[in-house]
Amino acid sequence: MSTYAHPDVLVDTDWVADHLNDDDVRLVEANEDVLLYDTGHIPGAVKVDWHTELQDPVQRDFIDEAAFAELCETKGIGPDTTVVFYGDKNNWWACYAFWVFRLYGHESLRVMDGGRKKWAAEDRPLTTDAPDLPTVSYPVPEAPDLSIRAFRGEVLAHQQQDGPMVDVRSPEEFRGEITHLPGLPEESSMRGGHIPGARNVPWSNAVNDDDGTFKPREELEDLYQQREGLSPNDPTIAYCRIGERSSHTWFVLKYLLGFDQVKNYDGSWTEWGNLVGMPIEKGDAEAATPAQ
Amino acid sequence: MASFEDIAAGFQMVGRDGRLELLLEYSDKLPPLPEAYQELREAGLNMVHECQSPVFLRPEVRDGTVRIIADVPRNAPTARAFVSILHEAFDGATPEAVAAATDYPLRDLGLANLLGAQRTQGLSAIYQRMKHAVAERSHTPIASDSADSA
Repeated sequence: MSTYAHPDVLVDTDWVADHLNDDDVRLVEANEDVLLYDTGHIPGAVKVDWHTELQDPVQRDFIDEAAFAELCETKGIGPDTTVVFYGDKNNWWACYAFWVFRLYGHESLRVMDGGRKKWAAEDRPLTTDAPDLPTVSYPVPEAPDLSIRAFRGEVLAHQQQDGPMVDVRSPEEFRGEITHLPGLPEESSMRGGHIPGARNVPWSNAVNDDDGTFKPREELEDLYQQREGLSPNDPTIAYCRIGERSSHTWFVLKYLLGFDQVKNYDGSWTEWGNLVGMPIEKGDAEAATPAQ
Repeated sequence: MASFEDIAAGFQMVGRDGRLELLLEYSDKLPPLPEAYQELREAGLNMVHECQSPVFLRPEVRDGTVRIIADVPRNAPTARAFVSILHEAFDGATPEAVAAATDYPLRDLGLANLLGAQRTQGLSAIYQRMKHAVAERSHTPIASDSADSA
């Protein structure tokens, strides 16, 4: 079996168990459920909440550079710390947190394959004890790395040049039959559908149902490249509803399949589907041109 | 039993971390689902489908008293805590008290900002389900109510 394009970003549960007490490693649990960490977490892990800690409380944006540095310091993360993310829902939010840390240029980042579910299924220890954190200082980073983040103007230009895009929402959202996830009406949009030309690969297709680990490279290549005609050589944009599910796909494309120029459009459908005058397509995608 | 207003006042008195601690306590306090209802849950009835987690919620009205019968898995502690709060506030209450209860439970508990739009929706659905079911059942004879669930 061929390995992933950048296999060093993934660690397995055995690796984590062996490095729980390393001073230069910090485990970060990022969940959909705000309380789950507090019911028990991997010993030594800190919690990072995507809503209350990674997003600006007022403006629709991420925390700024200074707030990011402060966050790292309160979590015992220095600039050279290896940060290992894991979480619930197949590492959905772990990948989102990974993406934000990458945006601010943190060098050493990993994801624990299989996430919280796999760790718990293996009957490994969980604790409610607060981790003992070192006092660290984190220099305020330079401006965010926009090579991994797309804004709407750029997405529109990309669409007009027939640039490849992947919409990772459910087929019902993609076709424009519903404008929000069941039960999430506040995140609805004025218009339903997708950005013209986008391919539809729901984000969770990239993981194995049973243990939440990422699928092997061959299966991922079949999913994105053979079936949808996407190519690792092309600048590619991933989006969903608010940019969280697509950060998971961004991770898969960039690190597991080697799409070096993939960006996450975090404005996503809640921006595009509410803007006046944006091109929208409804229904299924046209048949793909298989990649060479 | 404490009124919803009293519970909300407790949440309002503390900050973000205090609210998480209170939620965790409520999550631990939800009583187990009575044996008699396990079959209904296994059959997938009375589920709140708007929730990402499998939330079983069956409000009943017996002899003019509201009963909150519910089950939420431990790996969904936020939903479990919210249902436990509803149990504390409304199990044993009158249908009129449920009808008169707030329309903004998450705001009143100070959870709207803590959770964000994405995570409050499933909880809002739980609350609406409770209110509707109590309103419906308080006008329904007990006999036909149990026939309804068969």
